[in-house]
Amino acid sequence: MIRFDQVSKRYEGGHDALSQLSFEVPTGEMAFVTGHSGAGKSTLLKLLALIERPSHGVISVDGQSLAKVGARAVPKLRRRIGMVFQDHRLLMDRTVFANVELPLVIGAVAPAERSRRVRAALEKVGLLAYERQLPATLSTGEQQRVGIARAIVAKPSLLIADEPTGNLDPQLAMEIMALFTEFQQTGTTVLIASHDLPLIKRMKRRVIVLDHGRLVADLSAQEVL
Amino acid sequence: MSPSHEAAAPRTAREQPRRFASWREHHGWSAAASLRRLAGRPVGTLLTVAVMGLALALPLAFWLLLGNVQKLGDALGQQQAVSVFLQPGQGSSVAQLMATQLRERPEVAEVRLKTPQQGMDELAKMQGFSGALHALDNNPLPYVLEVQPKPGAGADAVASLVADLRGLQGVDMVQDSGAWRQRLDALLAVGTRVVLILAAMLALAVLLVVGNTVRVDIASRAEEIGVLLLLGASRAFVRRPYLYAGIWYGLFSGVLAALLAVAIELVLAQPVAELSRAYDGSLQFGSLPPWLLLSVPLAAAALGWLGARLVSARQLRRAA
Repeated sequence: MIRFDQVSKRYEGGHDALSQLSFEVPTGEMAFVTGHSGAGKSTLLKLLALIERPSHGVISVDGQSLAKVGARAVPKLRRRIGMVFQDHRLLMDRTVFANVELPLVIGAVAPAERSRRVRAALEKVGLLAYERQLPATLSTGEQQRVGIARAIVAKPSLLIADEPTGNLDPQLAMEIMALFTEFQQTGTTVLIASHDLPLIKRMKRRVIVLDHGRLVADLSAQEVL
Repeated sequence: MSPSHEAAAPRTAREQPRRFASWREHHGWSAAASLRRLAGRPVGTLLTVAVMGLALALPLAFWLLLGNVQKLGDALGQQQAVSVFLQPGQGSSVAQLMATQLRERPEVAEVRLKTPQQGMDELAKMQGFSGALHALDNNPLPYVLEVQPKPGAGADAVASLVADLRGLQGVDMVQDSGAWRQRLDALLAVGTRVVLILAAMLALAVLLVVGNTVRVDIASRAEEIGVLLLLGASRAFVRRPYLYAGIWYGLFSGVLAALLAVAIELVLAQPVAELSRAYDGSLQFGSLPPWLLLSVPLAAAALGWLGARLVSARQLRRAA
């Protein structure tokens, strides 16, 4: 599903965020990307979502080389990727329902089908009762779950998350991780950037470790102690 | 239908309605979303619409005024005759004689003789005069000759006719409405030009108001725009609600302007009706034509769309 081949990213000003990074994540796998802050986790996810372009190397998603995706085709690619952010990035002036509905509106899904799928997604994250509320009335953990519902409502084949549990206590963090595991079990490829090592250890999944933009370890699920 | 044809046709046939459906879906959502946003901050929206509506109503009001002055001029123009007031005391025989002589002049089309009694009757029909007239013991009005120049007679010929009339024995006063009419026409031409310039300037003002409102709106929604782009929205999708907002602002202010114009008409209707009665009902109140009232909201909506379009491309690049 995801292939990085000798990918480097140098930001303007000469900072090397990623250096000759190569790895592959097969379809349907769940993997973590970890490392201290500044190791290149966020840059890796930004390259996948085409928020940034690599300086060197080839990235492909679902067999499609991202270098061949022109500016006009970027929205179409992003619609195939569900994104979860640390600060959830919900629109605070719209209801939970309207927030989750956005990807379907962008994808021009008909209204009846939209409500059905929004409700299904909200039910999956256990927030169906809150559909008419504004995000500000929810707790941090609930807001993050709304963000996850928004990421999965359009049934993306790839789900990427940037520090999705960064602001949550361990109990809530485990609940969020359980949700990601559920989506992976339905066939979605899941890539999570996180520096929460205790949590990653408990998940017992593949872990890609970055340090100063270089791959220093790629541990399979069995190797994670 | 051949098999190959069958294989190709259904796909395009299915694809076309789907593309149309999603286009319709996007536009419907954008139109409704922008309308909800405007309704979400009613005070700001009402103020913007009021400013634009008043700006658009102003040229309409001037147009109304101008149209009615024109009508007034037309109504008076029918009596474009030169009025010759005889000195008081000049009797019927003098007036008759003078009328016969004048009819023989080549530049004169017609001469109508108005007796003091006829003049009195006319005055009596005008509002407010009848009481005053009853108080008079005798009729103070003179004989009046209404001299109608031939339609072909030039301004010079009419002027020399007027000069001759002024020199006639027994004439008290000559009133020439021709020169007055000429001045009115010139004034109306200036007025029309002023209304056009005013309309153009106020249309520009409307464009700027919409543009600025949408610009501020986009700037305050930079975060939302960022989220939409991350979720895979195209730039056209992000921009569309702002274009619809421009259309709504224009449409509502155009409707307001048309309503204001109708209100001005209603307010003016009664005094104009009285004025009309004073002119034997020959003066009709000229209201704005329906096509104009209908086209104002449409034109304003187009202006709003244009204003939003002009700022949104630039502003969105900055926001995202």
